[in-house]
Amino acid sequence: MNEKKVKIVKRDTPGALDLAKKTVFLDFIKGLSITLRYNLSRSITIRYPDEEKWIPYPRFRGAHTLNRDEEGRELCVACELCVKACPTNCITVVPMEDDTGKGIADRVAKVWEVDLARCFFCGYCEDACPTTAVRLGRDYELACFELDKARKTKEELLKPQSVPEDFEGGIIVQAKLQRTKSGIKVKPNLWKKKEKK
Amino acid sequence: MGDRETGVVTLKVNGKEITVREGTLILDAAREAGCHIPTFCYQATLSGVGSCRMCLVEIEGQRKLQPSCVTPVMSGMEVKTESESVISARQAMLEFLLSNHALDCPVCDKGGECELQNMVYTYGPRKGRYAEVKIRHHEKDYVLSPVIVKNSNRCVQCMRCVRVCGEVVGRGVLGAIGRGAHQEETSFLRSYLDCDHDGMCIEVCPVGCFMRRPYRYRARPWDLRGSRTVCPYCATGCRMTIEERDGEVVRSIAREGEGFNDKMLCARGRFGYDILNSGGEERLTTPLIKKNGMFEPVSWEKALSIIREQFTKADPRRLGGIASAALTNEELYLFQRLVREVLGSGNIDSTSRWDAATTGAFIFATGITGGGVSIYDCMEAETVFVVGGQVSEENPVTDYIIRYVSDSSRKSVLVASTRAMKLDTSAELSLRHLPGRLGALFNGLVLTLYEDNQERLEGIKEIGVLKGRTVTDLAAECGVSEADLRALCARLESSGSISMVVGTDLLRFREGISGLRLLGDALRALGKVLKILPVLDRCNQRGAWDMGVHPLFGPDYRKVERAGLGCDGMLDQAMDGAMDALYVVGEDVVNMYPDRTFAEEALSRVGFLVVQDVSLTDTARMAHLVLPGAYPGEKEGTFTNQEGRVQHISRLLEPPGQARVDLEIIEAVGSSIVHGFSDGTPQTVFDEIRREVSMYRDAAFSGGSPDGWLVKKSARRLEGFELIEEKKVSLDADPEHPYFLVTGNHIFLSGSLSRRSGILNELVREAVVEISEEAAGELGVIDGQTVSVSGRGFDATYSVRIRKGTPREVVFIAENFEDKAANRFYKRGDVVPRVKITA
Amino acid sequence: MEKVLLKNVGKPDSHRIDTYLAGGGYEALKKALRMDTEDIIQMVKDSGLMGRGGAGFPTGLKWSFIPKDPTLQKYLCCNADEGEPGTFKDRSIIEHDPHLLLEGMAISCYAIGADTAYIYIRGEFAFGARRLEEAIAEAYQKGYLGKDILGSGFSLNIHVHRGFGAYICGEETALLESIEGCRGQPRKKPPFPALSGLYGKPTVINNVETLACVPTIISRGAEWFASIGPEKSPGPKIFGVSGHVNRPGLYELPMGTPLREIVYEHAGGIRNGRRLKAVIPGGVSAPLLTEEQIDISMDFDTLAHEGSMLGSGGVIVMDDTTCMVKAAYIINRFFSHESCGKCTPCREGTTWMTSILKRLEYGEGRPGDVELLEGLCGNIFGRTFCPLGDGAVMALRGALRNFRQEFVYHAENGRCMV
Repeated sequence: MNEKKVKIVKRDTPGALDLAKKTVFLDFIKGLSITLRYNLSRSITIRYPDEEKWIPYPRFRGAHTLNRDEEGRELCVACELCVKACPTNCITVVPMEDDTGKGIADRVAKVWEVDLARCFFCGYCEDACPTTAVRLGRDYELACFELDKARKTKEELLKPQSVPEDFEGGIIVQAKLQRTKSGIKVKPNLWKKKEKK
Repeated sequence: MGDRETGVVTLKVNGKEITVREGTLILDAAREAGCHIPTFCYQATLSGVGSCRMCLVEIEGQRKLQPSCVTPVMSGMEVKTESESVISARQAMLEFLLSNHALDCPVCDKGGECELQNMVYTYGPRKGRYAEVKIRHHEKDYVLSPVIVKNSNRCVQCMRCVRVCGEVVGRGVLGAIGRGAHQEETSFLRSYLDCDHDGMCIEVCPVGCFMRRPYRYRARPWDLRGSRTVCPYCATGCRMTIEERDGEVVRSIAREGEGFNDKMLCARGRFGYDILNSGGEERLTTPLIKKNGMFEPVSWEKALSIIREQFTKADPRRLGGIASAALTNEELYLFQRLVREVLGSGNIDSTSRWDAATTGAFIFATGITGGGVSIYDCMEAETVFVVGGQVSEENPVTDYIIRYVSDSSRKSVLVASTRAMKLDTSAELSLRHLPGRLGALFNGLVLTLYEDNQERLEGIKEIGVLKGRTVTDLAAECGVSEADLRALCARLESSGSISMVVGTDLLRFREGISGLRLLGDALRALGKVLKILPVLDRCNQRGAWDMGVHPLFGPDYRKVERAGLGCDGMLDQAMDGAMDALYVVGEDVVNMYPDRTFAEEALSRVGFLVVQDVSLTDTARMAHLVLPGAYPGEKEGTFTNQEGRVQHISRLLEPPGQARVDLEIIEAVGSSIVHGFSDGTPQTVFDEIRREVSMYRDAAFSGGSPDGWLVKKSARRLEGFELIEEKKVSLDADPEHPYFLVTGNHIFLSGSLSRRSGILNELVREAVVEISEEAAGELGVIDGQTVSVSGRGFDATYSVRIRKGTPREVVFIAENFEDKAANRFYKRGDVVPRVKITA
Repeated sequence: MEKVLLKNVGKPDSHRIDTYLAGGGYEALKKALRMDTEDIIQMVKDSGLMGRGGAGFPTGLKWSFIPKDPTLQKYLCCNADEGEPGTFKDRSIIEHDPHLLLEGMAISCYAIGADTAYIYIRGEFAFGARRLEEAIAEAYQKGYLGKDILGSGFSLNIHVHRGFGAYICGEETALLESIEGCRGQPRKKPPFPALSGLYGKPTVINNVETLACVPTIISRGAEWFASIGPEKSPGPKIFGVSGHVNRPGLYELPMGTPLREIVYEHAGGIRNGRRLKAVIPGGVSAPLLTEEQIDISMDFDTLAHEGSMLGSGGVIVMDDTTCMVKAAYIINRFFSHESCGKCTPCREGTTWMTSILKRLEYGEGRPGDVELLEGLCGNIFGRTFCPLGDGAVMALRGALRNFRQEFVYHAENGRCMV
């Protein structure tokens, strides 16, 4: 229905005003002023990874973490339900007995490994977990130089997360790029919030 | 009532008409009709209690729901198993059961195969209303025995554990403490158990209340890969499934309906699986050759070429082979072909403990050639006579079956043995006789029968041998009171059908076999239906005989043209330096031959000794060449148990390193000498067995019935064993050594194989000597005390175990301890050694 | 009415055999020993004597189920495990007139052909057990027990078996288990004890009061006995009245005496002149009756028709100061404590109900608790192994039916409306 209406603009012959504009580079200055304005305004890109980093919302599903309770005991009871729930078979759990109070029950994980190269972060393991031990955290820098490094062991997963679980997120914070042998990590400083409009 | 006359009842289950035998429980009838009724407390082999109330059904015309597991069917009954009230009752029961259930499924070992979980998923209420504090019996799980862990918070109070312990195992060490909701099924005040450690309580527990300690927190049921096999520890031949995770066997389990033994296994079967994990230094992983007294690894090619060279250059008469009765039928068959056809020798045996002629006579007397006899058929008889062996300890599951069938159907069980045993408590009459006096016992029985039925027994000419003897002096000879002997005989005489369960004491003491035959003939002449079940201790002993691994007969009990030498004879010949080569497969001759010194000396004089085994046994240490073999879980084949039941075993793991399956090794040895000896796959060898051995003609290699397949009657008659001479066992007084030593298998051990199981060794920490209460009193010793036992040439210290009911003069040492081997007490030809015990 | 069962109670030295003989004791036994056993059973049948333990099963009929084969070992068990709260009738017979019981037992044993009898007495009745032992010793001495009683050729041994404080052992099969030395839990029926009871032998189990009626039936005749009370369940009955009455105690009255008469005439009415709120007519298992219902005749049939039961005749009277939630809680706590643990609904259900009632009583009730209780009652009733669970449910249901608003008030307001 919509007829394309081509608007034919009749170009006038250049006048004196036009000429004057050209002599003082008015358009050029106009253009530069925009550049200048943006130069002075607050930037809208994130200077990732060198200076800044986006901290996702808590609902974000990043790399796995294993949690502890308030007393520092491992929450994981190695029930292997995450293994059963996992659609990509990327989790390996081997239980063992330990009644020293290391875990909340005397069943703890001897092995808890996840192959992040295979994981597609569906979060089924979280849902299956009866003790809220396994959570998909907010780490998303998972690239690595060797595939072996994509396998995370229990010890690594039990380390405190870079972003605590109760941290609100959804903000950009100051960060520092760190190059390690295993890959690149951008370490955030959660308390240096960078407000963006 | 027409139904009553025919013994069948017709009823309707959910509108479907079904006819069942009178006295059938509604539950069984419904299952037959294809309607599943859930239960917790019901177990077919146990007495009914009707306490869990899961099986409530609606019966037309009855106001209340009825427990179908204890209510027998009645003619014209209309049963509804899926009516609204039944469904709501089930939900109610499950809600009640969950109310005080710990619900710690993520931690529980039973999670994933738990009956309560399954039932709640199938029938349960989807929502719980229980919001009160749960009753907790204890905080942490507690250990009941080296193999059992207990958590009572998960209990559903079905009492299966208590019943199985009393009714099947016969120990009765479990009971309940507390009342009502505080009731807890456990040992006496939760004390550490001293029992058979067979884990039957674990197997019957529907929830994770009783758990295997070695399997504790090892895996989830869905992690496990299993293979169906047969327990290698005795000839009862229990079906079981061994299951592995990540290449490690973590449990063995017997499931209902997967074999004649249902859930029954003994401690060895249920916990002895870890021999398969005993890799490391113990396990042989490469062929070894002895050079300058030291073993060095050698390649298979080199090893086989040495064997070929040595075997072909030897004189066939100076050659021989001994194969363990723990090998599969296929291996044993191929082995005897190798020895007979390839090496041209007749010297072959499947045991190092027993005399060849005696075993032949035993086979003849027990009617093994007559085909398989199921133990359940044996238990159909009115009277079961258990004689000549310590069934309760040597073949625990045979004992369980005898116990639970006889107790539930009120059969009378008679026991005659040298030592007290667990079965005594289920026996109507049990008597103790002197070791090596079974002949006198049998003759005494025959003579008593003869006194009563002279004219009917006149036809049996062997009775003539007993002329001039009296029952009184035969009773005195075997150390039994005459009244007991007569009472035993009276019980036999009054029964129309009799089953005899005959143990290996006849072989061990080399006597009593003609007495057994005579008794059998006499009972048959009196018109009794007689069945004989031999009770053997090596898992494939019967198969070994069927395959003809015996110097005096070939496969299918075929007569051999020229009789060869048995183990005894071969060692004799070796002693004279006339044994050029000996091929031993899986048998630890040094530890098992009754006179260790002699066996060692004889083997050291063998020109070329090849030993094929899984680990470096004492026999293997003496070998010139050692070949690494495989465990039953690593090979495929068939076993024939004591009943003649052929059962297929499948492979779960690969033998480690260069170790190979015994069948392949035997085939390779044969092929290295004769081209095209065999293709060596279990299936083709079994096909060959079916052609050659008439008893196995219709057997199926794998598949078939879960209960296995009973061998048929042999087409041939075993000849040459009708009459054997038996030497009277000397039991003269010896004041220096006042005790008679008897040997056999320990309840937790069998042969030397089980000694490699860490879990079983945990149960038997040290070598034990078992003495009678009276002897303990005389010696002033208590249970667990260390004593020294000295014989005529050997002495060692043992821990004392007192057994009530054993005669004063009998002591027992298991033949399973290598370091304090019981066979060191023996001198050749000495059947009952004398020992002295000092505190 | 002339006292039959409590006639000796109150006499000095009433437990002595001399006192008993002076009152014409053991005459019935002498008479019975001259009679044919069949005639005795017929006589008891004709008398219409119903079991006084609670179930009200005709005694003569029960005896007639025992096989007649003289070679068979048979037993008589006297159920003296009087554990029902509110019931204390057997105790007075045992303590004050034990010979009446012994004579009744001797006659019963003679009738059914048993030569061994057991008295299963409640563990707490230590004094009663001692009295019984003494009485048995006296009876042996005088030749009323032991071998060849009174020259008749009939022998009888009576043993006293003390319980260990389990209410469930008052259930007949659990009582047998307990005598055998097993865990006191009921057995499955069938087989009924009359065919396979104690040690697998035919066994009769009778209550103390039932057996105490037997001598009178023999001496006075069946017609005399049947003439007392209503036609269907005749005979004298001991009512034990307790609770908020002026004169609590035992009253021997004819069967069928109206409840109002028992409470207001014999027991002297409600204490302090308060109003009657509810009456439990026959031990705590019996559903309670409200004030409007108390004109009822106290016999088995009428009470059963009214939805309650005569039970053991233990009348518990509650006046209008009683909180029904508390009463229900106390009754239920008793049942959950005494549940033997054998079957699921009783074991778990009574425990659950008790914790809900406890919550309600202590002001921690939640909305929906009353519906939950009703639901649980439905889940337990008719599905238990023995009548204990049913008893617990019936008691609670009675309270819920008549005083539902009190429970609701407790649940909603966290306090009592009384």
